Amino acid sequence: METVPLAPFQEIVEEVRANGGDAFKYCYQCGLCDTVCPWNRVTALSMRKLIREASFGLSETDEIWRCTSCGKCLQRCPREVQLVDVMVSLRRMATEYGLFPPSVRPVRGVTVGLSEQGNPLGEERETRADWAEGLSVKTFKEGMEILYFPGCYLCYDPRLQKVAAATVNLLHKAGVDFGILGVQENCCGESIRKTGNEPIFKRLARENIKTFVENGVKKILVSSPHCYHTFKNEYPEFMVNFEVVHTSEYMFQLVDEGRLKITKEYGKKVTYHDPCYLGRHNGIFDEPREVLNKVPGLKLQEMAESREDSLCCGMGGGRIWLETPKEERFSILRLKQATDLGAEVLATACPYCISQFEDSRLTLTNSEVIQIKDITEILQEVV
Amino acid sequence: MESEPKGTQDQVHRSLADSIREGFEGNTFGDVMVVGGGISGVQASLDLAASGFKVYLVDKAPAIGGHMAQLDKTFPTNDCSI
Amino acid sequence: MTLVRKPRYILEDQCTGCTTCVEYCPVVYPDPFNQEISTNKAIHIYFAQAVPLITYIDESCLYLKEKKCGICEDVCENDAIDFNQTAEEVEVKVGAILLAPGFEPFDPKAGNHYGYGEMQNVVTSLDYERLMCATGPYEGEIRRASDKKHPQKIAWIQCVGSRQVNPPGGNSYCSAVCCTYTQKQVILTKDHNPDAECTVFHNDIRSHGKDFERFYQRAEELPGIRFIRSYVSIGKEIPESKNVTIRYATPDEGVKEEEFEMVVLSIGLNPPADAVRLAEELGIELNPHGFCEVNPKNPMETTKPGIFVSGAFQGPIDIPESVFSASGACSQCGELLDYRRGKLSRERIYPPERDVSGEEPRIGIFVCHCGANIGRIVDVPSVVEYAKTLPHVVYAQEQLFSCATNCAKEITDMTKEMGLNRVIIAACSPRTLGPLFQDTVREAGLNQYYLEMTNIREHCSWVHTMEKEDATEKARDLIRMSVARAAHLEPLQEIDLSVNPAALVVGAGVAGMTCALSIANQGHEVHLVERDHDLGGKARSIYQTLEGLDVQAYLRDLVHKVYQNPLIHVYTDATITDADGYVGNFATRVVSERGTTEIRHGATVLAVGADVYEPSEYLYGEDDRVMTLLQLEEQINRGSEKVTDAQGLVMIQCVGCRNEERNYCSRICCSESVKNALALKKINPEMDIYILYRDMRTYGFDEDYYREAADNGVKFIRYEPQDEPVVEAGESEEGRPVLKITTPDYILGKKVEIDADIVALAAALIPSAGSREVSQLFRVPLNPDGFFQEAHVKLRPVEFATDGVYLCGLAHYPKLLRETIEQAYGAASRVLTLLSHDAITASGSICEVDENVCIGCGQCVSTCAYGAVELHKTRQGKKAIVNPVLCKGDGLCTTKCPTRAIQLKHFTDDEIWAQIDAAVETAQIPSKI
Ligand SMILES: Cc1cc2nc3c(=O)[nH]c(=O)nc-3n(C[C@H](O)[C@H](O)[C@H](O)COP(=O)(O)OP(=O)(O)OC[C@H]3O[C@@H](n4cnc5c(N)ncnc54)[C@H](O)[C@@H]3O)c2cc1C
Ligand code: SF4
Ligand code: SF4
Ligand code: SF4
Ligand code: SF4
Repeated sequence: METVPLAPFQEIVEEVRANGGDAFKYCYQCGLCDTVCPWNRVTALSMRKLIREASFGLSETDEIWRCTSCGKCLQRCPREVQLVDVMVSLRRMATEYGLFPPSVRPVRGVTVGLSEQGNPLGEERETRADWAEGLSVKTFKEGMEILYFPGCYLCYDPRLQKVAAATVNLLHKAGVDFGILGVQENCCGESIRKTGNEPIFKRLARENIKTFVENGVKKILVSSPHCYHTFKNEYPEFMVNFEVVHTSEYMFQLVDEGRLKITKEYGKKVTYHDPCYLGRHNGIFDEPREVLNKVPGLKLQEMAESREDSLCCGMGGGRIWLETPKEERFSILRLKQATDLGAEVLATACPYCISQFEDSRLTLTNSEVIQIKDITEILQEVV
Repeated sequence: MESEPKGTQDQVHRSLADSIREGFEGNTFGDVMVVGGGISGVQASLDLAASGFKVYLVDKAPAIGGHMAQLDKTFPTNDCSI
Repeated sequence: MTLVRKPRYILEDQCTGCTTCVEYCPVVYPDPFNQEISTNKAIHIYFAQAVPLITYIDESCLYLKEKKCGICEDVCENDAIDFNQTAEEVEVKVGAILLAPGFEPFDPKAGNHYGYGEMQNVVTSLDYERLMCATGPYEGEIRRASDKKHPQKIAWIQCVGSRQVNPPGGNSYCSAVCCTYTQKQVILTKDHNPDAECTVFHNDIRSHGKDFERFYQRAEELPGIRFIRSYVSIGKEIPESKNVTIRYATPDEGVKEEEFEMVVLSIGLNPPADAVRLAEELGIELNPHGFCEVNPKNPMETTKPGIFVSGAFQGPIDIPESVFSASGACSQCGELLDYRRGKLSRERIYPPERDVSGEEPRIGIFVCHCGANIGRIVDVPSVVEYAKTLPHVVYAQEQLFSCATNCAKEITDMTKEMGLNRVIIAACSPRTLGPLFQDTVREAGLNQYYLEMTNIREHCSWVHTMEKEDATEKARDLIRMSVARAAHLEPLQEIDLSVNPAALVVGAGVAGMTCALSIANQGHEVHLVERDHDLGGKARSIYQTLEGLDVQAYLRDLVHKVYQNPLIHVYTDATITDADGYVGNFATRVVSERGTTEIRHGATVLAVGADVYEPSEYLYGEDDRVMTLLQLEEQINRGSEKVTDAQGLVMIQCVGCRNEERNYCSRICCSESVKNALALKKINPEMDIYILYRDMRTYGFDEDYYREAADNGVKFIRYEPQDEPVVEAGESEEGRPVLKITTPDYILGKKVEIDADIVALAAALIPSAGSREVSQLFRVPLNPDGFFQEAHVKLRPVEFATDGVYLCGLAHYPKLLRETIEQAYGAASRVLTLLSHDAITASGSICEVDENVCIGCGQCVSTCAYGAVELHKTRQGKKAIVNPVLCKGDGLCTTKCPTRAIQLKHFTDDEIWAQIDAAVETAQIPSKI
């Protein structure tokens, strides 16, 4: 075994701690995190080792960029180590020193897009509300029931624009008095923060908060669990508290209250994939299922790993911007779980999940056997 | 150093016991109640009885033995637990 | 106190436990006693050896629920069923309450991550205990639920529900017993099925108890056993085979998923289910874990005077500790209620003894199945049939558990009914149950020496598990031999010995002083003998406990109380020169600052403590920056800047034990290191502290402090004995002289080099220097490690096999202060069970000299280890004479006597010869050529 003197790395340890990664200290190397981390389903990744390295200031690998922040390890770690915080802290240090390994370079482009146009896709700010054309969507004004915040991918990505459209159609049907902020809207900043870029996150968050406050926003409807998470759990760091609802919760409520009436059947076998940030991180498991269960004809089946045990699609933690080789995609395992069940539709409630599953679906030999749908897209067909 | 007469000690001791007993709302009757008839409760009852006390052994289950009765053999000698 | 006595719906005096009713009862439901693996009926006996062994009717009964059925009433031949019973309130007045409500096994269904209840072949360790047990759901065969097959590949998952602050629902403490019970289950599994492959997934093996380290090695060295250091997650259940996969991680090979036929969850211990209600009703407090809040100076004291606690309600502890904490609590009840002693309890009265000396032998034989312990190997019914053919045998039968109350009664009844005058019980060792069965025989009006026990368990079924037929044959031979001997048995009388009410306590550490005080507080004189000039022992160099008890203040108080107590006589600077006598009547000579004293006492307590190993490792003694933990603690409390200003400090665990020479764990040093690390961090938060350990053994609630130390930045690095840390003098980068410690880190896969200003060694606790001498003086044994060996680990943990001699504290085994206090009270309680009687009974099985044959050679005198034989002058010259109270009946002298003048009663030559003749009667004696 190679011998390393620890004294020279003392300062690095301090820095990891200062960046919010102090939690490594609790780790007693039980290895449980490794056994649940989805990476070890496709390749080898020892979180236990990464944590151990961090605690001695010896982190040197590119592996710190792997974590999708799915939260599986957090859920089980018996010492309650906040592993994701440790990874984010290491990424902060890497970002600060500009130490990006080749695989992580795309994040630079994302950063530019975010700081210049407020979105990670490098699209122009001016076109942010183009998706809403022809859908008679109003601009949000104080006094409206709710602000709809579709988020970057629903605004720009052609596949996901369909989800935004389905959502506003349903809101119209239910007679909800809502509006959007369009070009004033910025990326929520959740994922860039996970890559360790704290300054950009702060800027985005501040701008959004300012816009919300100026427009008298009280209640926000979001389509992305990532927006949900950061608005609900991270924006309060700036001393604000907005009421945040996710579309899956809101649709359940609308149906439940009778504002949305389901009139048609949906004769398909459906399975529901819990997005990490909706389920594990925010405990929303039942509403999406209950709303699906209200649809006549729809047969909801559970995959082996569901609810708290849901298998990550692989796109969290900033991974959405990085290339993942086909054989390392958890999403392909997940799709297989769904097709093994005989499901015709994989329903979910997160733009990252949808785009990743759509992508991975194409790698299947028989890609038509399964469709990927947001819950709102299914609902739109039956009201 | 043990020149103090025995009587004094007895009194000191009595009064201590008395004051503790006041915790029992002046109830100076009876002897010891053992709650729980697992190995610990049984051993306690045996010791108390052997040294001259009356014992009430109570258990919520219909027989005594507690968890030890459920064990097959017990470490570190691996002899049977009944 | 008001108790509610639940109705049993059975007239206790009339039920014979025949279970006819159980056969007829139509209600079948999963039996909770067998962990719901097998079924039971609404009317049933709780478990096979239950006391009382009578039926009861539970809530599932149709009659009780809907006034339907009542079949049992019709079938009971003894009219024992009474549906009119109602809950009775019983008012009892007590002077003290002792709480021993135990624990509740952790329920892994809470936040289930282990598939328990969902996957058929995932069971808890308690389920597994029932599976292994002869009275369990499959009569002692380990079968899995899905296909009733014997599983070959079994995994144990450790710490289920323990040592976790996350996910919610688990407990942060270590349950302390599950590592060792798992090893037990592994060993027993291999007994059941030598081909079984067992894997234990863990993250520290905690073998902190006496003999546990060897027990662990015994399990580990069995073929096909793996101990893997990884917590695990359940992968999936394979639909076809119902096997379960487990995912585990190793530093070298990453994460693997492996299939097992059965998975056992080593569940932890929760507080008893109704602890909260109990606490509210009695007005006592619970600790944050929901166990009983206890006084740190006295773990048997609750927050309310007069209410004591023992057993697992104090916190997770094993059986030996549950036993001595029970005794300990009794001693405290005794202190409180001494004035009531003997006023309310009653003596046992036996029927008058029948004189059978003129009768022909009429032998009755009872052959025990011992559940499956014997029955599975030995063909008991055929043995019974055989026994009936033997001479003088007029009766023979089989029994499931001869020791159970109902069977014992059956023996008594049959003895009377058949007019038996010799009783043979073919079961286990007379060492454990001899006294019980002697009692049984006495109840039938026979002299207890008409009992003969044939050991067909330890001597037969247990050692011949693979040879069922031969074992059965051997059981027959053994019984035939017993029959031959039984015919020669004679009635013997036991003698009453007076008991000197004083006690001698050797060693005035915390154990000795606590024990002495407790005995004195129950009105007995105590002679407390200390080798040193001062009282206090090891505790004099301890300042704090992990829980924060100020040890010095505590000690001062204790010493003060000892000196204040007029019943305690203290001898310091003392040496014991001579120890003589026997239970109830010891005489010990002590040379002390008082001169030479001959002390007469009825009981002896050995509390001679332990010493700290003087390391030869890690530059100890060469470099003054290397010290033991005890020295470190002393320096911390002296405020030594050398220590408190250190930038780096390394503690190395397991120095001088857990090795070949001292194959045991010193139990306390992991907690001690954590304690000192926390103390240092408090003084100097910047200090870099590393603890290099092999397994962190912060068992029980101390696990919380382990995490607290981690929270304070103390770093823990594991090493293995083959790669011990290396300590060298060197220089830091800045040129500061430091000690350089190089040690592997298996997770990093690298060695790390640490700069330290101080190295503290967790030096082993070793048997006290004088313990060998003390053991010889008092004729009590030491174990292979040199600690005193108690009579029975579980049943008699604080006394020696030599009657009237007790032990407690470090002399028994390393233990923490609170455990020492507990054990000291435990020993006091056992002492009181002896001293509170005016007289005790000595065995009738002792030696006797036939003076007509004795030639006065004195061989026996020099042989006897107890000094029980002496020569005295008679008209016929010198003759040997036996002091009946000293004779232990070991019979050594009889082997030396050239003329067979000295005979051991109950084991006379006639009896033994008869037995031997019977042994070879039918055996094929190879004819010599
Ligand atoms: C799977 C497993 C295997 C184990 N194996 C071993 C082993 O091999 N060796 C070993 O040393 N230890 C072993 N242990 C630990 C051992 O079981 C405990 O140390 C021991 O049984 C504790 O005894 P106890 O008398 O304190 O508690 P318990 O056995 O729990 O007995 C408590 C009794 O009190 C009764 N009770 C509870 N509340 C009340 C109330 N309010 N009123 C009246 N009665 C009440 C209960 O019904 C019960 O009968 C094992 C534990 C487990 C879970
Ligand atoms: S699960 Fe937690 S304690 Fe265990 S190795 Fe991972 S981070 Fe460490
Ligand atoms: S959050 Fe998910 S991806 Fe990240 S380390 Fe934990 S389990 Fe792995
Ligand atoms: S470490 Fe403690 S909790 Fe875990 S299995 Fe061992 S004894 Fe039980
Ligand atoms: S340091 Fe002490 S308590 Fe810890 S494992 Fe070693 S010998 Fe046991």
